[in-house]
Order: sequence, then C-alpha cells, then structure tokens
Amino acid sequence: MIRFNQVNKTYPGGFVALNNVNFSLAAGEMAFLTGHSGAGKSTLLKLMSLMEKPTSGTVHINGVDLSKVTYKQIPFIRRGIGMIFQNHNLLMDRTVFDNVALPLVIEGFSHKETKKRVEAALEKVHLSSKLRCFPHMLSGGEQQRVGIARALVNKPPILLADEPTGNLDPKLSLEIIKLFEEFNDLGVAVLIATHDLGLIARLKYRTLTLKQGAMINDGLMEGLQGVHDDA
Amino acid sequence: MTRKANNGAKQDNKHAAGFLGRFIAYLVRHAQQAVGSLGDLWRNPFTSVMTILVLGISLTLPATLHVFVKNANAISQQWKSASEITLFLKLSVSESNAQQFVQRISLYPEVASVEYISATQALDDFKHNSGFGQALDYLSANPLPATVLVTPTNRASQVEAATELLQKLQSEREVEQGKLDLEWLTRLQAMATLIENVVIGIAVLLCSSIVLIIGNTIRLAILNEREAIAVMKLVGATDSFIQRPFLYSGAWYGILGGMVAVLCVAGLVEYFSMSLIELTDLYQSDYTLIGLSSSDMLSLIGFAILLGLSGSYISVRKHIRAIEPTAE
Repeated sequence: MIRFNQVNKTYPGGFVALNNVNFSLAAGEMAFLTGHSGAGKSTLLKLMSLMEKPTSGTVHINGVDLSKVTYKQIPFIRRGIGMIFQNHNLLMDRTVFDNVALPLVIEGFSHKETKKRVEAALEKVHLSSKLRCFPHMLSGGEQQRVGIARALVNKPPILLADEPTGNLDPKLSLEIIKLFEEFNDLGVAVLIATHDLGLIARLKYRTLTLKQGAMINDGLMEGLQGVHDDA
Repeated sequence: MTRKANNGAKQDNKHAAGFLGRFIAYLVRHAQQAVGSLGDLWRNPFTSVMTILVLGISLTLPATLHVFVKNANAISQQWKSASEITLFLKLSVSESNAQQFVQRISLYPEVASVEYISATQALDDFKHNSGFGQALDYLSANPLPATVLVTPTNRASQVEAATELLQKLQSEREVEQGKLDLEWLTRLQAMATLIENVVIGIAVLLCSSIVLIIGNTIRLAILNEREAIAVMKLVGATDSFIQRPFLYSGAWYGILGGMVAVLCVAGLVEYFSMSLIELTDLYQSDYTLIGLSSSDMLSLIGFAILLGLSGSYISVRKHIRAIEPTAE
C-alpha cells in the first residue's frame, strides 16, 4: 500500500527533512506516525499526497511509483488516498452534504449514487442529522468528522490523517480514533500522524517515530520513551 | 498490527455506475456548473456588471462601424449600374443642334443608350426637387444647360474605356463639360475599403483588450477561490474539473456583454436614423439605415462568447495550475 525506499528530502537551503527513510504499510494495516514538530511528519505526508517530490529514493502508493507520475495523473493517485487535516480543510460556503459529496462529484458519480454514499458516510460518523448544516455551525469535533466522512466517501484503500485530534479534548480524540479503527476493520490502511503520545500509549498499534528526519523506531510504543525524554 | 486485510473497499470502486449513467451525470454536472457560475456572477453584481459593460461597449464600436460599412456598401450597390457619363452642353447649342448631337453619338459603338434632358426639362426637374419652387420663376433666363446622359456598353464601362470615351465625347464641339459618375463611385468604394480596414484594426485592438479584461476578472475570481481550489485538488479534482466553472463564467460574460452590444448598436442605429430622416427629407430620398440583422446579432453574441471563453481560458491555464495544496 505505502512503501518508502531510502527516501531523502532536502529543502532548498540545505534543511534535511527526511534522511534515508524506509518503511512500508501493508493493506489494511493501521499505524501511528509520531515525532516532534519539524521531525519530518508533515514532509512524509506531503510526499505521499504528491504535494512534494523526494530528493532521492522512491515512494510507492497503491503499487504506483510516485516518481513516474505526471502532473495530469496526480489527481487520480490522490483519489486513492483519503486525507484528513487538523484544520479540516472544509469548504465553508457549502453544506456538510456538498462537502462530503465533493470527491464523488469530482469522480462523476450519478446523483443517486452520490446521495446514497454521502448518507452512508455521514451515518458512520454519526452526523446524519447535520446534512444541511454549514461547517461553521458545527463544533470542532463535528467538523473533523465531516472531514473523515469526506476522506472515506469514495472508499480509498488508504487513509492519511495529519494531527486529526490536534484541537480536540481527550474524549473526542478517542472517539475519532475509534472511527479510524472501524474503517480499519473494513480493510482501509490507516496512517495517523500525531504528537499526542498519551493517545498512542493507550492504543497498542505499530508506531513509526521520526527524529530529525530519520526513522528511529518502527514497532510498538516501547521505543516512545526515548522521544519523550528528549522533549 | 494488520487487521482484516480484505480489499472490499477497492472492489467497490469499480461498479460505481455504468457508462451511460456516468455520461448523464457528466451532462448534469455541466448544467449545474453552468448555472452555478451564473449564480457566482449574480453574487458579485458590481464586478460582473462592470465587466459586462466594458465588454458590451467595446464591442459596440466595431459593430457600429460594421453597420456603417454595410450601409455604405448598400448605397454603392444601388449606384453600381450608374457608371454613366453626364455631358453638359454649351448654352449656345440650340435645341435642334442638340438633337442632332444626340443622334450622332448614339451611333458610337461604345454607347449603349443616350438620354437627352433639355434645358427646360432640367429646370422643371430642379424646381420640383430642390424645394426652391416659385423662387425660380423670378429668373429671367434658364441658367441650366441641356444635359445628355450617356450609358456606355458593358465593355466600355470599365474605368479606362469609359475614361477614353469621356475624352472622345468632351472633344465634341457641342459639349461644355463631361463627367464620369464612375469616379465618385470608385472613390466611395475606396473609402469604404479604407473604413473597413480601420474597423478591422480597431476591432482587433478592442478584442484583445476584451480578452485581457476578462482574463483579469477571471484571475481575481480564481484567487478568491484559492483555498477551495487547493482542497479540491487534494481530494483528487483534475484541472479541467476545477476550471470548468471559470470557463462558464467567461462564456456568461460573453453572452451578457454581447447582448449589451446588440442593444447599444440598435440604440445607435435608431438615433442615427432619426437624424438621417431629417437629411433624407431635405434630399427627397427615402433611404433607411440598415441595422443589425438577426444573424448579425447572433454572430455578435457568438463572437463575444468566443472572446469571453478565450479570456478565461488564458487565465485558467495559467493560474489554476499554479495553485497547489499545502499540508497546513
């Protein structure tokens, strides 16, 4: 599903964001990606979503080598990845329904099919009653759930989440993670970037830890202690 | 830790809809985006009205000049058959001498027909047409010469042959002066051609400015939507999907601007023909201005749509590609 092979990323000016990163995430796997701000989490996600290209090394997403993807193919690769952001990235002038429907509209689904899928997705995130609301009428947690529904409505095989619990209290954070677990149960590969170590500690998932651009730990949360001490 | 690694999610993508269903959805989507972008124009009335007026007014000038050229052509069309030679006879030539002269020149091989207007008849016509009427009765003698209208044969009505014939006729002793109508006709045609070239020049300049103005308006619209465009790109929208509403906006500007131009031209023609009526009344002529025909109107609007589309296309090509999503 996701495979990084000796990936380096150096920004203009010489800042090394990723240093020889190797890892892979199998289909239907769920993992956390952690590390300090500036450790390279965002860069890793940007490489996966084709916002940036690696300086060297290869990234494979759903079996496609991203270095061979042309500008015109980028949208089609992105359709295979559901992306969730800390700030939700919703369109504020459109209703919850229209926001969630966006990926389906883009892919040219019929109106009937779109309606069916959007309603199903909103039901999964427990927001069926907010169909006609605008994003600003919702709480932070609800907006995040709209974002999750949008990321999953076209049933991508991979879900990437960048600090999905960033602004939420622990109880809401756990609810969001529970949602991710439900989707993971359905076979979606999930990678969650977070610095919420307390959350990770409670859940026994594979954890990838980045430090100054290098992958210093790939496994269960035992290795997290080192990161914590550095902080 | 791998949970159920089935790929049910992937399989489901394939039977989203049949080809026909997708095609219908595509058409419906187009219609929705077309109406949607009209709504966007409605939501920014000030910008939209300004752009539409600029487009309309810019198109009005070349369209009006086109109407002018059209009328000039219609006038010269009426006179095309009038490549005739007018001979003014000397006042001293008597009526019978004049008749003999007419007989003589009608035998020329270059001459198709000859019409004789006697001095008295000329005066009567002038009285009738000029509006001076009674005042002319106070003249002691008829100041008008007898006139002979010579229509050359088709072969002799070419500019050069006709000029030769004119010289030949002028050398006759009865003739005071000869005039070839072809001259002013060629002058009118040359002038019409000149004006047509000017129209084309001005039209090219104005049309380029329209394309630039619409391009700029669309650029601002794209920059306003920058965030939404970034989000759409993130969820996998192609550039052509994102640019479609902006192209529709350009087309709407074209349609509405074209309509403004049609109305402006119609208004101007109306205004001109009012002053023309005064003029033609003076000349006892009943020429009415030709306005825009309905096919002219349609092509004007169609041309405006083309301009709107190309303006927005240039903008869309450049600016939508430049917007890239960032992780923040």
